[in-house]
Amino acid sequence: MGLRKNSELEPLRPVIDRALPRDAEGLIAQLRSPDVELRRWAARDLAAHPDAARALGEQLQQELDSSVREALFTSLGTIATQDSVGALLPLLRREDAQLRNRAIETLASMPRAVATRIAALLGDTDVDVRIFTVNLLGELRHEQVTQWLLNVLASERDVNVVAAAIDVLAEAGQPEHVAALRAARQRFAQDPFIGFAADVAIARIECP
Amino acid sequence: MKTAVTQPVITDADFLKFREFFYRKTGIYFEDNKRYFVDKRLIDRIEATGADNFRAYFIALRFEASGAELQQLVNAMTVNETYFFREFYQFDCLVKDMLAEVVRHKRPGERIRIWSIPSSTGEEPYSIAIYLLERWPLIDQYEVEILSSDIDTTVLSAAQRGVYSARSVGQLPKPYLEKYFRRRTDNEFEISRDLVAAVDFSRVNLSDANDTRRFRDIDVIFCRNLLIYFDDLSRRLAAEAMYDALSPGGFVCLGHSESMSRISSLYTVRRFPDAMVYQKPLSPMSPTSGNRS
Repeated sequence: MGLRKNSELEPLRPVIDRALPRDAEGLIAQLRSPDVELRRWAARDLAAHPDAARALGEQLQQELDSSVREALFTSLGTIATQDSVGALLPLLRREDAQLRNRAIETLASMPRAVATRIAALLGDTDVDVRIFTVNLLGELRHEQVTQWLLNVLASERDVNVVAAAIDVLAEAGQPEHVAALRAARQRFAQDPFIGFAADVAIARIECP
Repeated sequence: MKTAVTQPVITDADFLKFREFFYRKTGIYFEDNKRYFVDKRLIDRIEATGADNFRAYFIALRFEASGAELQQLVNAMTVNETYFFREFYQFDCLVKDMLAEVVRHKRPGERIRIWSIPSSTGEEPYSIAIYLLERWPLIDQYEVEILSSDIDTTVLSAAQRGVYSARSVGQLPKPYLEKYFRRRTDNEFEISRDLVAAVDFSRVNLSDANDTRRFRDIDVIFCRNLLIYFDDLSRRLAAEAMYDALSPGGFVCLGHSESMSRISSLYTVRRFPDAMVYQKPLSPMSPTSGNRS
């Protein structure tokens, strides 16, 4: 016993052709397998098949094993197409916070693909979806982020959505955004929290 | 007329804003006593990118779609050098705690697999080998296989050559240096060929599933100070690859400034007296099993 010598090494576990088909159709079928490991590998290998985004999203809607969920999210993030975004957006409406947060993280990792949906999301009838969209903007690397946030300050009616936008601007805001923050403060003059949050954001932007 | 070039200034507020952002993005937190270090590197990057001031640089950094500048900044903030017994507390944790759990599921004589990635020039896998031989009392009861991989074939060749500078071996206790190395010159030490033969080196890209697919049944992975250089997606791919390479209950050790919890919820955080490490759960994970730390 002791340290095994290099010359004695056996192959780790040779890569052998899998008995199950590795084409997109076969892998999508394996997403429904009762075997967790098979589902994980199918989810991982489907990263090479952009057309599988919808199937990955459908599996996310029902998958109960966290390790498979992770693989599904990672593959959707790797594919990073409009279909990936479409597969992830329904998760913003789910009660499961872990699922929702991972969806936001994955969406944030594909700024170009998600950008075309932001305006619609900020106009969604569900307040929670609008708040999660602002949370997403806080993580999104895209040149229009501040403009979207300014739109929220100017026209959003729900105080919680506006508060979320102010929170992001406290970090990302620039001097030219102070006027918009003051206007939002004025618009929600009856709400002490907005007053407090806007003052903090302005102070952080204006501090020398 | 000559225009005076003024150096950008990092104010206290700038530092706090940057510290909070950088921590959120990387998990690296700079204490106040690192202010000079942080300021200097920030100013270097502001100047290198041609930004007018901190504010302009920070906004560009914050919203840059490619993440390339953030990666440049991470590289600048995490200058690493490798040497024998670096971050040795994790090796202490290996021989005191992690292996004790690993052998609970093995019979004497069975194989234990340890994977060191990146191998760099070999200091880490050889440190693990020396630690096991010198400080793990059960070494003779199990067969330990040390695997080590890197994407760079040049460093793999250097690792197999096994010649190190005095600085590289400077943290090794003298008896170990005398036992496992041969002094070639004043500044060159050659590691024992027995140790070279005890490590299986291979070229692997951790973000490429085709490269990592054959790695299975690993009990402990050392993956230190590598993920910090990856972008978000590559980090997730690496976390997935390590998860599938590990046996249930296997451990991952990251560098002291890295956090798996910021990358993936696949792992359970384990806090041992010497180190905090990450563990693949023994049983399948339900979404409500609370694996996030």
